[in-house]
Amino acid sequence: MTVNEIKGNKLAAVMKSARLLVRMNRAHADGRKSDTLYYQMLANYCERILKAKEEGRFFAAHSVFFPNEILYAMDIPSMHTEMTAWMTALFTGETADMLAAGAELGLASEICSAHRGLTGAYALGVLPRPDAILWSNLVCDNTAKCGELLMKINHCPGFFLERPFRNSDGEIQYLVAELKDMIGFLEEKSGHKMDWDKLSATVANMERQLEIYRDISELRKATPSPYHIQGFFQLLNTYYLFPGQPEAIEYLEAVRQELAEAVQAGKGAVPNERFRLMTLFIPPMYRMGFLEKLSQEFGAVSVTEPFFMHWGNGHLNPDRPLESIARHSYMIPEACSMYGPLTEESIKTITDSARDYKVHGAIYYANNGCRHTCATVKVFRDALSEIDVPMLTVDMDVVDPTFNSEDEMREKLQQFFELLEQR
Amino acid sequence: MTDLLQRGVRKLQTFEPFREVNNTFPKTAEILAWKQQGKPVFGWLCTYIPEEIIHAAGALPVRITGYSQEMELEDGNAYLYIDNCSFSRSCLQLGLRGGYDYLDGFIAGSTCDGARRLFDLWCTYVKVPFSHILTVPRKMTERAHELYYHQIQEFKERFEKFLGFQIKDEALRHSIEVVNRSRELLKSLYEWRKLDNPPIFGAEVLEVLNASFRMPKERFNECLSNLLQELSTADVRHTGRSRLMIVGSVMNNHEFIRAIEEQGGLVVADELCTSTRYWSDPVVLGDDEDPVKALARRYLNNFPCARMYPSDERFNRIIALARDFRVEGVISEIIRYCVPYAHDLPLLTSRLKEEEIPTLALDVEYGTSGSGQIQTRVQAFLEMLEAKRK
Ligand code: SF4
Ligand code: SF4
Repeated sequence: MTVNEIKGNKLAAVMKSARLLVRMNRAHADGRKSDTLYYQMLANYCERILKAKEEGRFFAAHSVFFPNEILYAMDIPSMHTEMTAWMTALFTGETADMLAAGAELGLASEICSAHRGLTGAYALGVLPRPDAILWSNLVCDNTAKCGELLMKINHCPGFFLERPFRNSDGEIQYLVAELKDMIGFLEEKSGHKMDWDKLSATVANMERQLEIYRDISELRKATPSPYHIQGFFQLLNTYYLFPGQPEAIEYLEAVRQELAEAVQAGKGAVPNERFRLMTLFIPPMYRMGFLEKLSQEFGAVSVTEPFFMHWGNGHLNPDRPLESIARHSYMIPEACSMYGPLTEESIKTITDSARDYKVHGAIYYANNGCRHTCATVKVFRDALSEIDVPMLTVDMDVVDPTFNSEDEMREKLQQFFELLEQR
Repeated sequence: MTDLLQRGVRKLQTFEPFREVNNTFPKTAEILAWKQQGKPVFGWLCTYIPEEIIHAAGALPVRITGYSQEMELEDGNAYLYIDNCSFSRSCLQLGLRGGYDYLDGFIAGSTCDGARRLFDLWCTYVKVPFSHILTVPRKMTERAHELYYHQIQEFKERFEKFLGFQIKDEALRHSIEVVNRSRELLKSLYEWRKLDNPPIFGAEVLEVLNASFRMPKERFNECLSNLLQELSTADVRHTGRSRLMIVGSVMNNHEFIRAIEEQGGLVVADELCTSTRYWSDPVVLGDDEDPVKALARRYLNNFPCARMYPSDERFNRIIALARDFRVEGVISEIIRYCVPYAHDLPLLTSRLKEEEIPTLALDVEYGTSGSGQIQTRVQAFLEMLEAKRK
């Protein structure tokens, strides 16, 4: 492990960019209220971490799908390792250095670039050093295995939250007990006490959040469909970073309102909707502008992303907050479709979505190194083909732009649209 | 040494049954004969699955492995995608092409992404009458033991329902004894490797282990007893340039170890799920104890895989092994897209460095025979170890 800290903390740059976007959006006559609220949330998120660091207050980093609502209820600033690292890379262009630093630590290319790079980011000091690392095995071996190395790099303690694979009462109780242990760990390390009332309120808000997500999904069934591809990232990030937070509810309500108005006015995300698409996995985040342009050019709109947006029918009970958090972990769409177990139900979710949203075709963004997800490429292609929905597989790397070029992607997508046109 | 290493030449007469089984797997004469008697065969994947339960049902437990050599994995790639570990792709391809068409069932654990998805796709495309996946905890706490106990219990109940009869405690106790006997014999085999000049090569030990997954346990115990007997009288003693240990991902192709030994490396220890991690700990069963409880404890506490937390448990045992077998260098082999072992590598290398044990990290495909560039790197590693000794 030889990477020396050669960079300064870049989170301040993300905060400044987010603030700039808020100002630009406000100044723009057509600026969406939801965008303003979203970037404001992001700026505040970064500021909270930076302030905690500056004041020497305890803050914790946590992996994806980690129940950070616990941290909010304990008033501990939190830093989402994956999203913070890759937002930083996007805003400051540090991708290559982060990936190289990960490789220099001895992380082989077996490890998905998202994790190689985020570990590299900590080694380089691109992200502020947390006081604790929290991680779980959701949603893959990369997350399950990332924590110990991050602890070592950051010279801090950590807690591994084990989330059992299958969803049975015994496993839920196991997870509840794990959550209790983790709260004990955090109380001891941070000196903060769990505020159980606040946790219940957070869970109640999460339930509201879920309802709004479901409403948003419902509105996207309209023809023409009103939501733009970048919006998907915002929804995802909001769920990752702000579970049960009032500002997230305000943002989601704004999105819902805007979509409802668009549906009412018959206004689609693209001027001439020709192709309704299902997106599987995450499109390359560094190509969002490019994809948006293609979407406009070809009249192709992503109407559903069931791996992330299919929230099912489950409900949370604020009176039993820990049990609700445990149950919630089995409701997370990614945990059902991307993680597993692969069941007839999870396959049906995809085919049902294709029907409900009247999709013409599906695009599976096969992320290099995301093993458990890519293992479903054929399964979902076969299932969709049975209901006559063609699926295009685009090999890509969700964070590394050198994996393929815009031209290659354009060609593939164009051919797919031509195929859809001929049908 | 060289003449002994010539392919196909064996001086130990008692080695043949193991070789025979491996050369004909998955369609070995014994498995086919077993089926012909109308007895069931169940495939198990990963060392966290208690074979004893299958054995106690009067069925034959067979470990799912892939092709024994590196090969094109067109079907594996098409079904599991190119970025799943080459072990799972190789297994699936073998399954898709009918290699395991005699299986009555497939039992796996939620051990890692590769294994989980292999199970999923096996059930979707290869299809078997019975399938079950157990949640395998990643921790070794009391709570995790309790969870695993219930998982095994649930598996046993589903299995019994499928079979149409109950597995009696006495049968389970007997199976524990039989499998423990295999572990004991394998331990004795490894004792020979501690000698300055062991009478058996590392490659041969892997052949023995491969056979242990593929033949009835009772027969395996008999064959291994014969081999041990012969080892105690044989005048074969091997020398090498350095004492090595292999650590890392699953391995079945003994040619990989042979390629290292042909260059003068003496492979005296290994930390693989197809070697030491498979047999190392016995099931300890008290007179009045629930055998399922004993199984849960043994399987979760066994020499940990890289998937387990904390990793130090695995590292400590690797270091203990290295000391015990007087290892001078460690070769880590990580097969393509095996994330758990790849993730452990930086921390393991640094632990071994603290012990002044150099590590050679090799990225390989499952089934590799270790030729070409690997040989060059092993050669350089051996030279470095020799220079270090001087
Ligand atoms: S990209 Fe895939 S493998 Fe990587 S962290 Fe995300 S889910 Fe895991
Ligand atoms: S441990 Fe590695 S090689 Fe074994 S199944 Fe899992 S990913 Fe594949």
